[in-house]
Amino acid sequence: MPMIEETLERIRNGEITPSEHLEEKIEILERRDPELNAFITKTLDIAREQARQIDGVVREGGGEAFYGLVWGIKDNFALKGVRMTCGSKMLENYVPPYTATPVEKILSNHGIILGKLNMDEFACGSSGETSYFGPTKNARNPEYVPGGSSSGAGAAVAAGMVDLALGSDTGGSIRNPASFNGVVGLKPTYGLVSRYGLADLAMSLDVPGPLAPDAYGIALAMDVLQGYDPRDRVSAKRKLPFLRSVDSFDPERVRIGISESLLSGVDPAVRRTTEHVVNFFESKGSEIVEVDLPDIWVAFPTYYLVMYPEFASAMQKFDGIKFGHRVDADTLYDTVARSREEGFGKEIKRRIIMGTFISMAKNAEWYKLALRARTTLLQMFQNAFRKVDIIVSPTVPTPPFKLGERVNDPVKMYMADALTVPANLTGIPAISFPAGWKDDLPIGVQLMGPRFTDHVLVSAVRFFEKEGSQWSE
Amino acid sequence: MVRIGFEIHVQLKTRSKLFCSCPTNFLEAEPNTNICPICTAQPGSKPDGINEEVIRKAVLVALALNCKILDRPLRFMRKHYFYPDLPSNYQRTSEPFAVEGELNGVRIREIHIEEDPGRYELREGIVDYNRSGVPLIEIVTEPDMTTVEEARDFLKHLRAVLDYLDVILYPEIGFRVDANVSIEGGERVEVKNINSIHGVVRALKYEIARHKRMLAMGKKIVRETRHWDEVRGVTVSLREKETAEDYRYMPDPDIPPYSIDSTLVEELRTKMPELPHQKRDRLIRDYGIDESAAWTFVLDKELGDLFESLAKQFGVKNAVAFCLNLRGELNYRDKYLAEIPRRERLTKLAELYFGGDITKPVYVEYLRKILDDPEFVPIAQEQLSDDELRTIAREIIAANPQAISDYKNGEKKAVNFLVGQIVARTKGRADPKKAIQILREELQRL
Repeated sequence: MPMIEETLERIRNGEITPSEHLEEKIEILERRDPELNAFITKTLDIAREQARQIDGVVREGGGEAFYGLVWGIKDNFALKGVRMTCGSKMLENYVPPYTATPVEKILSNHGIILGKLNMDEFACGSSGETSYFGPTKNARNPEYVPGGSSSGAGAAVAAGMVDLALGSDTGGSIRNPASFNGVVGLKPTYGLVSRYGLADLAMSLDVPGPLAPDAYGIALAMDVLQGYDPRDRVSAKRKLPFLRSVDSFDPERVRIGISESLLSGVDPAVRRTTEHVVNFFESKGSEIVEVDLPDIWVAFPTYYLVMYPEFASAMQKFDGIKFGHRVDADTLYDTVARSREEGFGKEIKRRIIMGTFISMAKNAEWYKLALRARTTLLQMFQNAFRKVDIIVSPTVPTPPFKLGERVNDPVKMYMADALTVPANLTGIPAISFPAGWKDDLPIGVQLMGPRFTDHVLVSAVRFFEKEGSQWSE
Repeated sequence: MVRIGFEIHVQLKTRSKLFCSCPTNFLEAEPNTNICPICTAQPGSKPDGINEEVIRKAVLVALALNCKILDRPLRFMRKHYFYPDLPSNYQRTSEPFAVEGELNGVRIREIHIEEDPGRYELREGIVDYNRSGVPLIEIVTEPDMTTVEEARDFLKHLRAVLDYLDVILYPEIGFRVDANVSIEGGERVEVKNINSIHGVVRALKYEIARHKRMLAMGKKIVRETRHWDEVRGVTVSLREKETAEDYRYMPDPDIPPYSIDSTLVEELRTKMPELPHQKRDRLIRDYGIDESAAWTFVLDKELGDLFESLAKQFGVKNAVAFCLNLRGELNYRDKYLAEIPRRERLTKLAELYFGGDITKPVYVEYLRKILDDPEFVPIAQEQLSDDELRTIAREIIAANPQAISDYKNGEKKAVNFLVGQIVARTKGRADPKKAIQILREELQRL
């Protein structure tokens, strides 16, 4: 997994052309993907054509931010003319007539798109196993799950099939596979990256973000991806100095928070890895502060009260008539019912049923209660961020688990999200980076910060990469 | 006692749709050409911001109906139901932005903004999404009307207000009405989707008679939703749908709550155009016409405008006569003057008639032709000279010996028959009074 800075340098100084670089990636793809199943749709022709054009531009001394770096796009972002399946039978043959804003930005900044990446169906899953197109495997050990829902993104970056990947995070879907595959993944501040063209999971939680082998890749990607988009009215009119500040992390001016409520009950190796990171920052002069997060237990139930109803609402459009898989029946009702019966997988149906139930008129109080709980959580984090700049926690409570181990136990599966959902509910940025290993499986650690300090988190990870070492047991 | 209340849906006249920049002219455009990823709810698309022009027009209506504009941020809710005309299977509908208004003695409960669904032709199984996302306002009244006449008068007044504000997208479509009806001793029944004021009157009459009949037979009137069948002139129960309905309202997370700017409200208040009741008072004051004629003209905006211009050209008396006559013909066709194309033809007609270039029968005939035939243009016709008329009278007398013998036997109606023959033969080019005079002279010579 070559570092992004080096690859970029090799292309810019002419050591390798974008086309040659692409062929290297395609070679890895052809070698590794039959086993890993990270791609749903490969766009080799488009990629090669793009590379040829960028070759010329770079030869002339030009080139935009990515200079032909190779991207994979999670298959819930629209790319005009290329099918977008969302990992579902429902959209097996859906071809969007438009391109998502983040994808447009990648293209216009000379990112080469190698294909659409596997994912849990409609981004519902934490293990990459609910995809209609088969599970993705962990790039470090194919007997293990790659995490989810951006499963293909995590595996493709870790295996070196792509330089960078675009994922989406609703409850941990970028950070979880980043953690399980040993790569870096940023869930940006809600609204920092436009959601236009990202298929909905839960609209008030969804945020697109990058996965990369290193913090530099994240900073490079975020400088392009961030920014206000009139087509997404919740997007923020903010731009953060990612690359400009990537090397300006000063440990002595940063207060690091830890909280027992984010560590209790996690796997011992994961706990030791997290403490290793805290010790590292302490050794570099950071002040370590124990923060109290008394209401953190609210996050988990609140997440489901918010996500289920929003998801059920978002899924409403898939009726077999306008989009997606269709089963013709005698009545309108039967057409809709049977199309949904056949088109959706088990976890999707579970969430639609739960979401429909929660949003029924007689239960209207629940969703309102959840919105109030989000305010409480936000206030709790705001209080904590008066005392500290960064909160350190594990990304996932356990190291990667084996394929099939949890897929039939939703409660156990949902537990994987316990430490990632608070950032979505409060809209704050959170980054996962590889900090340790247990039995050759990666363990990720998460940094959370106040809204619009995404660039500080990235620079902290960059500092750890340069000055720190991986925990190993 | 009868109680009637309305929910009135008005498609607003704006250039683009509520949440995207597609044009709103769904009637003229080829099916499924005014569409984009947003108004067809492509997976991943998000609504653009709320069209400001919609807010302006909606607030204008609310102010004209004497509503209070609420200053809390306006949320758009998702109303979920499965239907082929609804691309996302939820409709976006705002919370009320205006409350506690009044028009024609009827209280306005609230007004909110909605998006129109597409058009679904059930029989052909065809959907046209050109209309999907066209902005609507829904005006909800209190059940303050107690007779069909009051209900009709209210709707006519409301229609006039909307025309004066120039906010209706298609005058020929006007507005869609859901009517709530109850009579003492029975539950409230909602009659959905009535497309014209005339239709409302018919539906209300039908429904009130049905309620009375039910009660007289000792039957219960249950709370239900019924559909107005325009062709058969009956209401049909949709009850099973109603009992199953739970729209699962939820604030749309893609649309940040919208704060209506108070300076915009004040600006619109000062720019408010003349409203029907103001124009009525002005017509009475400036032209000295009676209140009933003034209200008749004012209720049809174009007619009121026509009256004023004709009164200036041809005098108040002529203008009143012309416009009352025109109103009668329009009533017969259940139309507003705005629905008649090339209305300058009416001014031309008035010129011809009041200038003495055409006779009264020709004027009446031309008026009807103008209303029924968009191609017809009135032109002056030379009237027949006395000599020509006398020649024709002689020919008619020679050709109708039976009528002549009837006349001789004292059958005075025979004269009317013969005059009719002359008028028909001359295609209106004869002045009937003169024709009678000449005919009588010729008959006396026999």
